[in-house]
Order: sequence, then structure tokens, then C-alpha cells
Amino acid sequence: MAATEFAESGLQSDALVGGVTRKRSRPRRWAFVGMLPFAAYISIFLLIPTGELIVGAFRTASGAFTVSNISDIFQAPYPAAFEFSLELSAVSALMGGIFGFLVANSILHHGMPRWIRSWYISFSGMAANFAGVPLAFAYGATLGSLGVVTILLKHLGLNIYPSFSLQGLFGAALVYTYFQFPLMILLMVPVIEGLRMEWREAASNLGASSYQFWRHVGLPVITPSLLGLMVLLFGNAFSAYATAYSLGISNLVTIDIAQLVDGNMTLNPQDAYALACGMIVIIVVTITIYSLLQRRTSRWLR
Amino acid sequence: MATIELRRLRRTFGSVVALDNLDLEVHSGEFVSLLGPSGCGKTTALRIVAGFEWPDSGEVLVEGQNVLDKPANKRNMGMVFQAYSLFPNMTAQQNVEFGLRVRRESRTARANRARELLELVGLGTAMSRYPRQLSGGQQQRVALARSLAIQPSVLLLDEPLSALDAKVRVQLRAEVRRVQLELGITTLYVTHDQEEALSISDRVAVMSQGRIEQLGTPAQIYSGPRTAFVANFVGTMNKLAGTVVSFEDRVVRCGPMLLSVPDPTFNHPVGQTVELFVRPEDISLELLSNGDEPPSGTFEGRVTSLTFLGPVTRVGLATDLGPLLADVSSAIALNLSADTVVAVKLDSSSLRTISG
Amino acid sequence: MAQVTVPVARPRSHRSRRARRHVSIWHLWWAFTGVLFFLLPVYSVVQFSLQGVAHGQNPFHWYLTVFDDPNFRSAFWLSVQISLETVAASLVLMVPTVFWVHLRLPGLRSVMDLVSVLPFVVPPIVLIVGLAPFLKVFSSWLFVRPEVLSLIYVVFALPFMYRALDAGLRAIDLRTLTEAAESLGSSLPRTLVQVILPNLRAAIIGGSLLTVAIAMGEYTVASLMGFNTFSVYTYDVGTSTAYEGVALTFISLLLVWGAMLGLYLLGRGGSTAAGVAITDKNSL
Repeated sequence: MAATEFAESGLQSDALVGGVTRKRSRPRRWAFVGMLPFAAYISIFLLIPTGELIVGAFRTASGAFTVSNISDIFQAPYPAAFEFSLELSAVSALMGGIFGFLVANSILHHGMPRWIRSWYISFSGMAANFAGVPLAFAYGATLGSLGVVTILLKHLGLNIYPSFSLQGLFGAALVYTYFQFPLMILLMVPVIEGLRMEWREAASNLGASSYQFWRHVGLPVITPSLLGLMVLLFGNAFSAYATAYSLGISNLVTIDIAQLVDGNMTLNPQDAYALACGMIVIIVVTITIYSLLQRRTSRWLR
Repeated sequence: MATIELRRLRRTFGSVVALDNLDLEVHSGEFVSLLGPSGCGKTTALRIVAGFEWPDSGEVLVEGQNVLDKPANKRNMGMVFQAYSLFPNMTAQQNVEFGLRVRRESRTARANRARELLELVGLGTAMSRYPRQLSGGQQQRVALARSLAIQPSVLLLDEPLSALDAKVRVQLRAEVRRVQLELGITTLYVTHDQEEALSISDRVAVMSQGRIEQLGTPAQIYSGPRTAFVANFVGTMNKLAGTVVSFEDRVVRCGPMLLSVPDPTFNHPVGQTVELFVRPEDISLELLSNGDEPPSGTFEGRVTSLTFLGPVTRVGLATDLGPLLADVSSAIALNLSADTVVAVKLDSSSLRTISG
Repeated sequence: MAQVTVPVARPRSHRSRRARRHVSIWHLWWAFTGVLFFLLPVYSVVQFSLQGVAHGQNPFHWYLTVFDDPNFRSAFWLSVQISLETVAASLVLMVPTVFWVHLRLPGLRSVMDLVSVLPFVVPPIVLIVGLAPFLKVFSSWLFVRPEVLSLIYVVFALPFMYRALDAGLRAIDLRTLTEAAESLGSSLPRTLVQVILPNLRAAIIGGSLLTVAIAMGEYTVASLMGFNTFSVYTYDVGTSTAYEGVALTFISLLLVWGAMLGLYLLGRGGSTAAGVAITDKNSL
């Protein structure tokens, strides 16, 4: 009795059943039953809503098929919102990416004391999670019109207002960088540490300077990863809502969507669906590019 | 070709002494191995020569010139690492060319030299392959070619074969020696594998705890170990305890046997307890019929274990002189089994005492 | 006999040691800049939250105002409640599921990896668009209980909880432990609870800490659904009274810091699960 149950349990092992050894390599069908709760949950809270909005993007209010929603998003004010969203995402990804790489490289340098690395990793974890309402207010306290740094600069004779604004491209990107840059550090550390010490030593032994090592070996090896992570940062910024909203930015795709959903669903939900669809498309593209670049890196850093 | 001189090298890591006033001279064109267990300082010494570590005190001279004030990338030494040192984003050819590229050689000169060296190590057909497409042994060949491309003054190898399969190791070590002889390059080789060191070196420096225990040719190290450490580390050694009976004739009594020790450095006074060393292959066995006395010059032993090693079998013996290990040809060993009584004969010309 | 004095070689160590560590200005500069970038806003928050206080008053005036506000307490408590419910729901859903996949359906691992990345493809703002019609079955948002919010948050926490549990299970030899338990007569549920779970403690705690950080900081869905969570409260207060808003910001900072510190300490204990790259994109 027990032996049969053991054999039927679907474990990948030899099982003695009636004196005959039988290898079970494929799970019994009922094992999939165990996935039901998870499948149900994912369907209700993720898959169906997503499907809803994808379908809804192609439906009029009365349910007929249409592409007018999609064409709507190419009309004002949405293209401007898309443009700004993409710009903001790109700039913050670049800023956070490059800054993150330079800092990660510096703290991992073999001459640096170990505690700097530890401090950075724990602080980066915190900073990457700090995004949203508190981050916007923090920057308000820093570089807002009455911010601590703003006033300090004024004392030094530098008046950054009114040309600077936390809602402008550079200002908002700076705020975004606060969570992009630590994310880059956290993701970059394993990549840089994956650069084997042997390569650096071999290069040095063969006469290369530090610059030559990076130029011929270091950067070529990590560039796919670098680019891939920056693409990830791009997607990260593109999805952001709370930070932008708290900063008071108004022409952003996510904020436009929120306005269409906020209590006033009568105000053309179809556009919300279309915009959301557009967002999904853009994010899927970024994730695809990211995973392609990641695969390239893992080949070398195995 | 260059000579290497290590003078009173000292290096500590906290309270651990990695190198304890190490002195070593490698002659031009010579192949010297640093042999020892992990932690003996051999890799530290090599890395100091290469420039990846610095000593607390001491000097390193190559061709009479001090190299310690030069950074690693200005020392013009070839180095082969244990593993993973090939640049993954470059083909074998590009890897080999790298040092020449740094030295701004022309493209044709680089390509020619790369081909020359890859053919020297037997990989002429693999020039455009990436490291991940090469086996471990092939990768190390490329690493060797790469280190030689820059025509270094000396060649340094840090356990280059440790990460490879046993059979590949045996093949490759002969290759390394062949290349070294062909180019006549002064070489310093680090390994923990004594068979490796003995088979390819001109001289071997056996190291322990930051010091060189003994420096000599492989034959000298093997048959004439000067310290107990060397005796035990290199090959297997039997130890016999005995008392000196005669100083002039160098006779020692071990159990029922009187053994004559041919060691000219023997200087122990009568009555002193000494240790005699003899290798398993210098012990021979003869079957003893039940009840017979062992013939003169031999003593009785009982087989306690048999370990088949291929061409020889290692026989564990219990004797009046203590436990012994004897290597006999496996064909003869077929006649032995546990508790067989044998007559044991020691080749007296191989008996040694060790002062260290 | 002539005495030959051998000149002692001048020790080279001092000069060599200077060349040894090449920590250049370049590295120091970037390390320093990073620290500055991180700490400047923190400093500004602290500084700002202590400003605007009338003479003679307690410098922590704004903090006291905040703590006195009953709305603060109810918002904070609501967020804590929701966070704990999210953690509970997440664990109840994910632990058996990931266990099951590792044990019986290893072929589904790649599917699970994909599914765990989906929440990044469907950010909160997009998800709420899809959920809106369902939740709007009731004529207004008010009929939705906070528990629904928790269930939604489970989606946002999914990638992190999954990664933590997945790493934790990979670190133990699940198959061997389970087979050993079964050979000793244990049923599968019992094995899960008494054998596997204790070995997953670090992974579970790690995943839970991340979940709490996400739930406490989430703004998008909470605000659009009309819940007065800590984040929503912070926004409302902050846009009307800057000083109190900044004080609340500092409190948020301490909360996130606490959670991350907990994670980091866990990670140093050697658990691979807690070494997950930590980020929350859901309060963005």
C-alpha cells in the first residue's frame, strides 16, 4: 500500500511497485491541482484585469469593436504626455545608470575598505524603496523653492529659481535618480564582481594600464549588462506614479491614466484602457531588450 | 635570459608569517618549482615576483635589477594563472595578441606572432575560438601562448594545471616543459603536486611555512630528503626507530636487526636514539614457509593490508621494527593475503637519517 | 683573515607599499559624491522638519503635532493592519505554491519565473485600470474593504516574495529532506510545516520585510481607491502643511530604514534568500 502511494506521488525516483522498479519522470496530472489557488489568484488579480483592459482598449462604451481609442491616444494631450514620460524615463535612467556604475565601480575597488561597500548596499536598499510621496517631499525640502539647499545656494549667490523646477525634466529626473541610482548599484555590484580578478591581473601582467584593461576587456564584457540595466531603469521610471504625482507633475502618461480613473470613470475610460495598453507595450519592449542583453552578459560572466 | 633572485623576502598577514626570509636563486634558462602544501607561501612568493603583492622586506632582482619599484604591468614577465584568466570577450588569437597590442605592435606582426605561439602550443586550428568554446586544457595552452607572446624575461606559473583533469594534467605538464626548453626561458613554477614538480623541473624548492626546506634536483629531493617534512611530503617514507650501536661503522639496532646506514653525514654517538627512513620501493619481500626462520639479513613480517595501486601493490606489514609499507610488483602481490608471513629485506644502501 | 663587510641592502618596503594600493582620487571622488547625493535630502528633511518653529517652542513641534493628530494614528494603524494582512495572505499563497513547484512540478519553474516578473509589466497604475470595473460593482469605492487592498498588494509583493522563497528553497535540498521525512512516515503537509518551514525562516522573514516595506509605502492604488493609508495621509498633510509633511517624511524614512536594516542583518547571517536585490517600484 505505502509503496504504491510512494510511486504514485510523482517524485522523480525509482519506486518499487509490486516488485517492479518503475521510474516516474512525469508528474501525475493531479499534481497540477496544487497550483489551483495560485492560478486562481493570479487570474483574478492580474491576468483578468490585464485582459480586461487590453480588450477594453479596443471597445467602445457600448461594446463594439473599435480602434478609435488607440487613435485617441495619438491626439493631444497624450502625445505630449508620452513624450515627457519617455524623456523623463530616459534621462533618469541615464543619470541613475551612469552615476550608479561609477559609484559601484569605485566602492568595489580593491583598495577601498570593505565597510564602504556594506554601507552602500544597505543604504541603496533603503533608498530604492524610499520612492513615492516621501521622496517628493524630501526633495521639496532640499531643492524646493524654500529648500535647504536652495537657500544655501542663494547665500552663495546662486539663484536656481525660476529656471530650475522640480517638475521640469531635469528636476524630476534628479528626483527619480534618487531611486534609480541605488537600484543600479545593487544590480551592478554582482556584475562588476563577476569581472574576475584573474582578468585584471593577466592584463596587468601583459603590460596593460588600468585604462587599457577597461577599454579592451572590462567595458566590453559588462557593457551589455550596463545597457540592459539602464533599460530596466527606463522601464522602472516609466511606471512611476506616486513620485511624479507628489511632485505636482501633470503631463505624464501615468498621471493622465490616474485622472481618467479617479472617481470619474464616466470621463472616457476607454482612453484609460488605451493608454494603459500603450504602457504595457512599451514596458514589454523594454523587458525584452533587457533580457536579451542579460543573456549576452551571462555567457561571459559564467 | 634572465636570472631571478629572491633575497630575504618577508611577508606577514597579520600574525601569520607567509614568507620567512626566503632566499632563492633561479639561473638563466632554469625551471624551478616551488613545491609545498597550501599555505606554505609559494603562491605569495610568486605573486610578489609578478607584482601583485609586495613584501614587507626583502628584494627581488631580475637580471640583477630590482623589480620591486616597478608596478606589475611594467615588469615584462609572463604569467599563467590557475584558471579563468583568458579574456572572455576575445578569441584565442585576440587573447594572445593582447600584450602585443598594448605594446602597439602592427596588426600583421601581432597576427604572425599569435599564430606562431598558438602553433607552438598545438592550437593553431583554434585561433578564432572563444574561451568558452575551449576545454580547460586548451584554455591553459592559450594562456601559456599569451604569456609568451610578449617575449618576457621570465615565465611565472601559478598552479596552472590544478584545475584540470588528471590525464590532461600529465599531458600538459610535459607540454609546458617542452615549450620552456625550446625557448630556454627562465621559469618559476608553483605547484602542490609533487609528481608534477619532480617530473619537469631542473630544481625543486620544497617549501613549508614560508621557508624553503630543501632546494635540489628532483633526484636529490626524492632520495636525499634532508628534513622530516621533505621526507614525508615527497613520496612515502617509512620511519624506523633504533639505537646507535657503532659510530665508526654507522650501525643502528632496530628491534632484532642490525642495520648499516651508508649516510656519510651520520654523526650520532653510540646509544643515541635515531630515526631511519626508507622508501617503500626499497623494501622487498619473500614468502616464508610456516615455521621457517627468516634468512639472514631479513626479518619477519606479517601482512596487514594490501592496496592495489596499478603497477605496484602497497603492502602493509607488522614487524618487530614497527609497521612498514612496502611496494611490490602486483604480480608478486597476488601471492599475498592478510596474515601471510613474509621475510622482509631492506635495501641498506637506501637507508637514511635525517637531521632536520 | 680579511673581514669582508657586506653592505646591508636598503629595505625597499616603504616605497613599494606606497605603490601598492591604487585608490585614486577618481574612486574616492565617486564614493564621496554618492554619499553626498544620498544624504543631502535626508539632511534637508531633518533640517526642514525642525524649522518654522516659533521661539520657545519645542524644536520637535511638528513631530508632536503629527503624533497628536488622530488621523495620523488611524492612518498609521490602517497601514500596519494592511501590511500584516498582505504578508499573511502572501505567505499563505506563496509558500505552499513555491514548495509544490519545487517538489512536484519542477518543469513549471520557468513559468513561475515569468509569472513573477509580470507585476513589473503591469505596474500599479495599469493594474488599477483593469481592476476598476470589477471594484466599481459597488457604486462607490467605499464599499471595498481594506482586505481587498491587501490582496492587491500581494500582486505587487509577488516578485520579491517569490524570489526570496525560491532562493531559500534552492539553498536546501528539498527533495532529500522531503523523501527522508516521508520514509519516516510523515505526511506531506506535516513535512512542509515541521521540516521545510523551519529551514526557510530567513527567506520567509526576508520576503515579509520587503512586503511590509511595499505595503506601507504604496500610494497609487490606495489613493485611487480612497483608502486613508499612511502614504495617502502623508500626501494630504504634506500638500497642506509642508512642515508636518516633511516630519512625516522623516518618519517614513525611519520605517523603510528599519525594514532594510532588518533585511541586511538577515543577509549577513548567511542566508542567500535575504540577499535579494531590494527595490520597490510600487510606491512610485
